[in-house]
Amino acid sequence: MTGRRWYAPWLFLAPALAVAVTFFLIPFSNTVVLSFTDASTLGGGHFTGLDNYRRLLSDDAFWLSLRNTALYVVVVVPLMVVLPLLVAVLVQRRIAGIGFFRAVFYSPVVASMVVAGLIWSWLLSSDGLVNSLLRALHLVAEPLPFLTDSRLLLFSAMAMTVWKGLGYYMVVYLAALANIPRSLLEAAEVDGAGPVRRFTSVTVPLLRPTMVLVATLSAIASAKVFAEVYTLSDGSAGPGGEARTLVYTIREAGLGLGGEAGYASAMSLALFLGTLGLSVFVTRLNSQERQA
Amino acid sequence: MPSSRGIRLASVALALGALSTACGLGGSTDGDAGAQQASGSGGALKGTVTFETLQLKPTFTEYIEGVIASYEKKHPDVEVKWVDIPFAGAQEKMTANAVAGTLPDVVNLNPQFAQALEAKGLFVDMDTVAKDIKADYVPGAWDAFTVPGKKGSFGIPWYLTSEVTMYNKDLFEKAGLDPAKPPATFDELLTAGAGLSTAGKGKSYGLHPALENRFITDLAKQGVPLLDESGKKWTFNTPEAAAYLGKLVDAYEKGVFPKDSITQDHSKSTEAYQAGRIGVLPSGPNFLTIIKENAPKIAEQTGVGPQITGASGATNMSVMGLLVPKSSKNQAAAVSFASYLANAENQLAFSKIVTVLPSVSAALKDPYFTTAGDGSVEARARKISAEQIAKGRNLVPVQYDERVTKAVIGKVQLALQGKLSPQKALDEAVEAANAITG
Repeated sequence: MTGRRWYAPWLFLAPALAVAVTFFLIPFSNTVVLSFTDASTLGGGHFTGLDNYRRLLSDDAFWLSLRNTALYVVVVVPLMVVLPLLVAVLVQRRIAGIGFFRAVFYSPVVASMVVAGLIWSWLLSSDGLVNSLLRALHLVAEPLPFLTDSRLLLFSAMAMTVWKGLGYYMVVYLAALANIPRSLLEAAEVDGAGPVRRFTSVTVPLLRPTMVLVATLSAIASAKVFAEVYTLSDGSAGPGGEARTLVYTIREAGLGLGGEAGYASAMSLALFLGTLGLSVFVTRLNSQERQA
Repeated sequence: MPSSRGIRLASVALALGALSTACGLGGSTDGDAGAQQASGSGGALKGTVTFETLQLKPTFTEYIEGVIASYEKKHPDVEVKWVDIPFAGAQEKMTANAVAGTLPDVVNLNPQFAQALEAKGLFVDMDTVAKDIKADYVPGAWDAFTVPGKKGSFGIPWYLTSEVTMYNKDLFEKAGLDPAKPPATFDELLTAGAGLSTAGKGKSYGLHPALENRFITDLAKQGVPLLDESGKKWTFNTPEAAAYLGKLVDAYEKGVFPKDSITQDHSKSTEAYQAGRIGVLPSGPNFLTIIKENAPKIAEQTGVGPQITGASGATNMSVMGLLVPKSSKNQAAAVSFASYLANAENQLAFSKIVTVLPSVSAALKDPYFTTAGDGSVEARARKISAEQIAKGRNLVPVQYDERVTKAVIGKVQLALQGKLSPQKALDEAVEAANAITG
């Protein structure tokens, strides 16, 4: 090995490393440090030990956000794993005009979140399209408070998340479906398996790694949900902020001129650990089942 | 579809609305406090002054640049650099600047917005450095930059707005109300609102609560004490306040407000008014301009009346100010420019461009504000709000900042939904607000 210099690989790595260190590692370490202080967004702050974390334990807003976020994950993740798969199987067929349907399912992914929020709040407002339909069909007498009942608001936001993410995960599944060898499906068919059996016994097992990927990605996204709740509620997270999610509460605590940077950092760290735990859990679950 | 000019005007009105209501200009002194200060100490003004405004470009570019040019002519050694930042993200930008010690030399803020920075003692005390011009200003406006429990005043009032009551005469007629007689008290407002909602049959409503904008001001107007003298303990959980909240709860139940309105802010109430969906809109007269741009038909049907008042008879004004951070390296020139921009002549010129009022008493005496002019609704609104300014005050203490607002309004929303009793909601609101302010 002559003429090779030890630093050559580092030179190649330098740009990426610099970006990672500047925009990820340093801010992250700073968040960790801040979470042990009473710093405000205007700077300053003293070391306060575990005070912020103790405060978390008795903070109703934090627990409410945690419950709402957990509910979000529990509802959204299964839907995100199953629905896009079904849609992908549907639009996978090569028939005339199928491209149109693929594009239709994908279009919400391209829409900006703010635009999507506006559309959904028009749809769901008390005199919006959904309520008008329900009333015209005499299904309800009074408009349903989709945007002003915190529970309904949270479910409306979940619907919006699913609608918006469906196309993205559909494309992920389409790619995976294209990789399933036709020979396996044909062999199953020769063995007498119908379309449902072929789907459950051949397609689904082969798609398992993709499903784990989708579950992990959508769990992380759901744990960080913010924009849906924010845009549907005019920034209020529902009356009394009762539909608040973790990121919403972090933003509320840490933003603005009087924001508590220290406390918000502690919450961010709790969210980080929670999300990390969630993805490890999903991955573990998968590997255990594989071994079983 | 609002035109882009409409949107621009709307954003300007929002920026103005975030401050307060109307203003005018005029006055005899040139109000050059810094110049007096500098000449007093024997030094001439020189150097660069950075001046930051909130969303005044492009609508007021010509005006601001004109003032800057005439100031620079008077003080050839001073260069004024104007920076305009959008309302969205302004807090973040200022936070970053404050941390880095790079706040501009003169900054345009309202008292509530400036509060967090003021609490850190970041601004120059105008009672000291601009004491010569203090007497020129409407006392209520100058006092808007004082903090209860503290000495000094941290800003020069620039322009004012004083809410008027806009109402849709067409909807009034349909509801059998007298279109020449707008509601004047809170009880009249709620009664009119109920009538309007009944007549609207779900297509239009009486009022929009715009809680974040009006709730606390409305309590103050009814004589409810908001904050104690220490400036740290909130006191608005009185039986009178609970009684008023009880009336709002009742009104919401009876459909006086649109169902979705409890979590919506002032901009949504303006939208609803422009769409003909609500009958009464208490707001700054500067919004008349926006309504005219976006909804000319509604503007034609709009009448104006004086601000809704309560037991105390007090009227509120909103104030936009000019502040000089202590970190400024050129404080004398900064104070001089700020007082020049806010002098009678320049404020009068400004309030002829947009329906705001000057904070200088002399300017308010200009016939522009004392006569109903061409008889237009804007002229009437201007006259009404100018009259109100004389006895108006900034009723909401600077401590009622964004975070306190959110905490308080959250509880009020729960009361409106019947999840908390009015008294309990206010008790919890006070507790939450104390935790932030205390």
